[in-house]
Amino acid sequence: MANIDVTHEEHSVHDHGHHDDFHDEHHGDKYQSGFITTYIFSMDHKMIAKQFLITGMFWAIIGGLMSLVFRLQLGFPESDMAWLQPILRGWIVVDPATGIGTLDPEFYYALVTMHGTILVFFVLTAGLSGTFSNLLIPLQLGARDMASPFLNMLSYWFFFLAGLVMFASLFLSTGPFSGGWTAYPPLSALPQASSGSGAGMTLWTVSLVLFVVSVLLGGINYITTVLNLRTKGMNMWRMPLTIWAFFVTAILGLLSFPVLASAFFLIMFDRGLGTSFYLSEIFVGGQALDQVGGSPILYQHLFWFLGHPEVYIIILPAMGLVSEVLAVHCRKPIFGYRAMVYSILAIGFLSFIVWAHHMFMSGVNPFISNFFVIFTLIIAVPSAVKVFNWITTMWGGNIRFNAASLFAIGFVSMFISGGLTGIFLGNSAIDIQLHDTYFVVAHFHIVMGIAAFFGMFAGVYHWYPKMFGRFMNDTLGKIHFWITFAGAYLIFWPMHYLGMAGVPRRYYSFTTFDAFAHFEAMNQFITVAAIVVFGAQLLLVVNFFYSMFFGREQKTRNPYGATTLEWTTPIHAGHGNWPGAIPHIHRWAYDYGKDGKEFIPQTTPLAEGEKDEGH
Amino acid sequence: MNWALDEKNYKIHPQKFALYSAFASIIMMFVALTSAYIVRQSAGNWLEFPLPNLFYSSTVVILLSSITLHASFINFKKRNTSMYRTFLVATYVLGLAFLVLQYLGWQAMTDMGVNFTLNPSGDFIYVISGIHAAHILGGIGAMTVALVHAFSLPHVPSPGRILRFELTAHYWHFVGLVWLYLLIFFIIQQ
Amino acid sequence: MTLFIILLIAILIYIIFIQIGRVTDLARNIRGEERTQTAANNANGFGMLIFMPLFLGACVWSALYYKDSMLGYGPHSAASVHGGVLDSIFDVTLFFTGIVFIVTHIALFWFAWKYRGKVGQKAKFFAHSSQLELIWTVIPAIVMTFLVIKGLDAWNEATADVGPTEVPGKDYIEIEAMGYQFAWQLRYPGADHKLGSRNYQLIDLANNPIGQDWNDPKNYDDFQPDKIVLPVGKKVRVRILARDVLHNFYLPHFRVKMDAVPGMPTYFVFTPTVTTKEYRNRLKNYPEYQEPADPANPEGPRRWETFEYELACAELCGKGHYSMRRIVEIVSEEEYEEWLAEQKSYFAQNIMGTDADPNKEANLKKMEAEKAAEEARKAREAAQKAAAAGATTSVGGMGTTGTTTVTTGAAGGTVTTIGTQVGGATSGGGTTVEIPEGMTEEEAKKKGLLKRIIEKGKDKVEDIKENRADRKARKAAEKAAKEAENNNN
Repeated sequence: MANIDVTHEEHSVHDHGHHDDFHDEHHGDKYQSGFITTYIFSMDHKMIAKQFLITGMFWAIIGGLMSLVFRLQLGFPESDMAWLQPILRGWIVVDPATGIGTLDPEFYYALVTMHGTILVFFVLTAGLSGTFSNLLIPLQLGARDMASPFLNMLSYWFFFLAGLVMFASLFLSTGPFSGGWTAYPPLSALPQASSGSGAGMTLWTVSLVLFVVSVLLGGINYITTVLNLRTKGMNMWRMPLTIWAFFVTAILGLLSFPVLASAFFLIMFDRGLGTSFYLSEIFVGGQALDQVGGSPILYQHLFWFLGHPEVYIIILPAMGLVSEVLAVHCRKPIFGYRAMVYSILAIGFLSFIVWAHHMFMSGVNPFISNFFVIFTLIIAVPSAVKVFNWITTMWGGNIRFNAASLFAIGFVSMFISGGLTGIFLGNSAIDIQLHDTYFVVAHFHIVMGIAAFFGMFAGVYHWYPKMFGRFMNDTLGKIHFWITFAGAYLIFWPMHYLGMAGVPRRYYSFTTFDAFAHFEAMNQFITVAAIVVFGAQLLLVVNFFYSMFFGREQKTRNPYGATTLEWTTPIHAGHGNWPGAIPHIHRWAYDYGKDGKEFIPQTTPLAEGEKDEGH
Repeated sequence: MNWALDEKNYKIHPQKFALYSAFASIIMMFVALTSAYIVRQSAGNWLEFPLPNLFYSSTVVILLSSITLHASFINFKKRNTSMYRTFLVATYVLGLAFLVLQYLGWQAMTDMGVNFTLNPSGDFIYVISGIHAAHILGGIGAMTVALVHAFSLPHVPSPGRILRFELTAHYWHFVGLVWLYLLIFFIIQQ
Repeated sequence: MTLFIILLIAILIYIIFIQIGRVTDLARNIRGEERTQTAANNANGFGMLIFMPLFLGACVWSALYYKDSMLGYGPHSAASVHGGVLDSIFDVTLFFTGIVFIVTHIALFWFAWKYRGKVGQKAKFFAHSSQLELIWTVIPAIVMTFLVIKGLDAWNEATADVGPTEVPGKDYIEIEAMGYQFAWQLRYPGADHKLGSRNYQLIDLANNPIGQDWNDPKNYDDFQPDKIVLPVGKKVRVRILARDVLHNFYLPHFRVKMDAVPGMPTYFVFTPTVTTKEYRNRLKNYPEYQEPADPANPEGPRRWETFEYELACAELCGKGHYSMRRIVEIVSEEEYEEWLAEQKSYFAQNIMGTDADPNKEANLKKMEAEKAAEEARKAREAAQKAAAAGATTSVGGMGTTGTTTVTTGAAGGTVTTIGTQVGGATSGGGTTVEIPEGMTEEEAKKKGLLKRIIEKGKDKVEDIKENRADRKARKAAEKAAKEAENNNN
């Protein structure tokens, strides 16, 4: 049995928890007995969370750098990019006469494609829900680990493998896949139409199929753990909102990613075996292809059946993290806990029936679009409820500003801004004009590229001590916040105007069209802002790795005065999380400022006649 | 190793629950494919052809294999070692036979003239049954482990081993049922 | 070199930030947790407070600054019937979302300031209010419902196809745009107002880029211009195709957009309401459009003068996606008919008489006959000119003697009328024009002195006889009328 520290919080765990045979069985077992099983092939959820986070950060840097390169092209098309040749080699075409290097359009599109793929899947799905679901689900529910630590480990390594394959695709001679992260056929199915649709697309699909496996393995674990491994007293209505968010996210992933996989299997068949699922009546590369009867729109349906839930898979965990961080640092319960839960459930459910709002201009029967408009605008309602609840959480609070709470507040602002433009796009009539313009780019970047990231940042800063027993430097964190908050708006706000001016997205250059050609100054501005904001993210990276070894040490178990269970473990929680008994809980997660007390941990039993606010 | 079991704060064993979640996932995949089938079929230019009889045979085989597997399970719990092993081997053989018959079925389709490039109606059969076969292959993998255990481990029906057997068996029954659904689907839709 | 300096400065700033970070950490130990936190709360709370007006102000200011470049604002009201409706729905949505945007942000930043942490301050334990939840669920729901109804109404109208009783040529003009890597192949239906059938297997990049089926007589008068020209005020149905991958037919000024899908023709129906010239007149009044069109040529034409409507591709189709431009010109009815008359069918120019022509023999014979007749006519002309020096001559214009009806034997009933101007005469009827002395027909045509009036909807050519004086008077009257119109706008 582990040492028993005599602190107040400890007492409540020790006295009210339950003992299991965990430690008897696991004394000196193969868990964490060597370097490899501790740091590499770990089955401990906390280590796996860190693996997801660091891998996610790696990919975020790569995806971010890619965006800087193509923003250079857009902001400064005349500039010489020959200096990038050492890294990008054949992707920069150097004019032998002038020595000026330009980015090859094919590779511009490869960068755009990879940027989207990497950020949506590797960073915002694996890096966000992979990290925090793994870290927090067992800790906040009072479980020793996930339901299947082995599958959990596999989930990370499949992600790693997927990343390896995707990375390899960057070095192909025919180029990585360049048909957009949405990979619509026929472009993605025909190497004759685009060189990236050859080997590049093959590796891209393989990578993502591996990724789907990773997500499914993780999701199965999260769902099972939430439903089966809660500690005593933790009924569903006492779970913190983070858990609700991760839970619904996992369900969304479980049901929607297989459809993506099936879309990819069909495209593999079309590419390799001459089938015509998606292809019909095509004349390309100087010859008419045999395929008849396929429909590119079938792919779009299958893709977006995942694609739409995917964006909620990205935003829901961020919302969960923000709810938690706001409550803790406002010293107030999250306002409207039940409404928040119902909103998460509503958003989860509705997210399955709106997918074709990405296809209004695809040539689908306009009649069908009616239904998708209705459901899409309905989904705005629970999202609005959440925003109002967050704002009301701040009302009457005693707000503690630190990097985490700043990013949480910033999230709310970003979600408002990005979410509202969704209302324009969801209305098909308006979408006629705005589809595939920079207005869409602005919308999804603000909600995913900023808001979701802000949620992730809030989570990283807030739970860093839980992961490493130290604090990140908060001043650097605040500087990181302010530069990113202002800078991100400077990058993406002008894009609304570009979109409203009719400028299409995925354009290598705007000079061909008179209508789109006169925004050089704006594009330069955006590019410069992007470079500055990207630079500011490096503050986070430096802070993250430096603080791991030299950060201010966490001296108390519950530095924030939070109510949730993860703060009842020892500072460097080992495998199994609680050295002795698993604590039982008696109340909901948001007793901040109740009955004059600063906070009441979930483990504290209800007093005589006290009502549990969470019912 | 199932320390998660300790508090028994659940009704269904977590690993079984995890398996059932995986079933939900797999079902979604086949729902997507069969929906795509229906949508494509309604768009016309759809070749109708008779499903080779081999697919009916393979269905019988896979359903039989579920019966033998169940028999093996019962005998495992009842400590009838020889019956347990025999039925398990039978299941394994039937499982492999299923895959062989599926392959022959595809051959028969090609011989009929329905190859990959002829018409989506053929393509869908290939893809859907192919992906299903891949899942059966996964089941064969689990079954191989079960077979190895049957002959190498002492025959002790402990809760842990019963659970493992159940998980393998439930997966096997599941993919068998999926095939039944797919076959019925193909028959009705054709 | 500049890059190097910038990098150096960046690193310097970095080091400064990191040092600030370390110093504040130390300071925290000295000042104590509470005081540090209170100071941080004040600083950041204040930051939130001033961010509010800066942010909201910047949003409003920038919107106003760029207003005149945005479609739907300034000079850019929609150039089509349905476009105006779409723009108004955008405005309504902007109104509601704008209110929410401003109010929620004011609340967010104000609360961040007002409720910043202070020593001794206690947070209120205010965990839920069903009433509030109801209010801010119901109100958004009502607004959404309103937007949905308006939006779907406009949507269903804008995406409606032409009705079953509508006739191409009479009720609408049908044209075709086929996207391919990396341009648009345009096709007009010619005099019969019907596009001929096509098959992708027939595509030959050299002489049949669309894959037209030359056995279908509807194809004989189809022509392939390099720009879209349409008459103002007339409904157009664009048939949208793709030859290789997905493209998207996008006319920003008309609020027209529709994917081009290989294997599945799509459509968009719209009615242009503003001619190119009228649009230019609108732009003329805005400073952005008074800039020189080519910055390298400051004395050259202004942006408003060189303005053209453009067709762009709006679905990623490969590396040339950004360069698929065609000009779209909206003109008056007369100018449209004139333009139509000038167009020559693809068949006539490229296919007739070649191996690809299913009626090669017959057409060859006919072409030879035509050529002979044309030569005879020219000889007559020359003779007449020589004979009557100084007098005005009446000559048959295009299409007079050139119209021939050919009936092929075996197939029976295949009628090929060639040599007529498209949209114009199919039979007989000549055009009598006045050619000034000393000029050939070619020269006269070039100078725009030939004028034909074609009666609308009827394949007839009317003779006109006009002397110079009358022509001058007519032109003066037209000019006056146009000026009056412009002044009214």
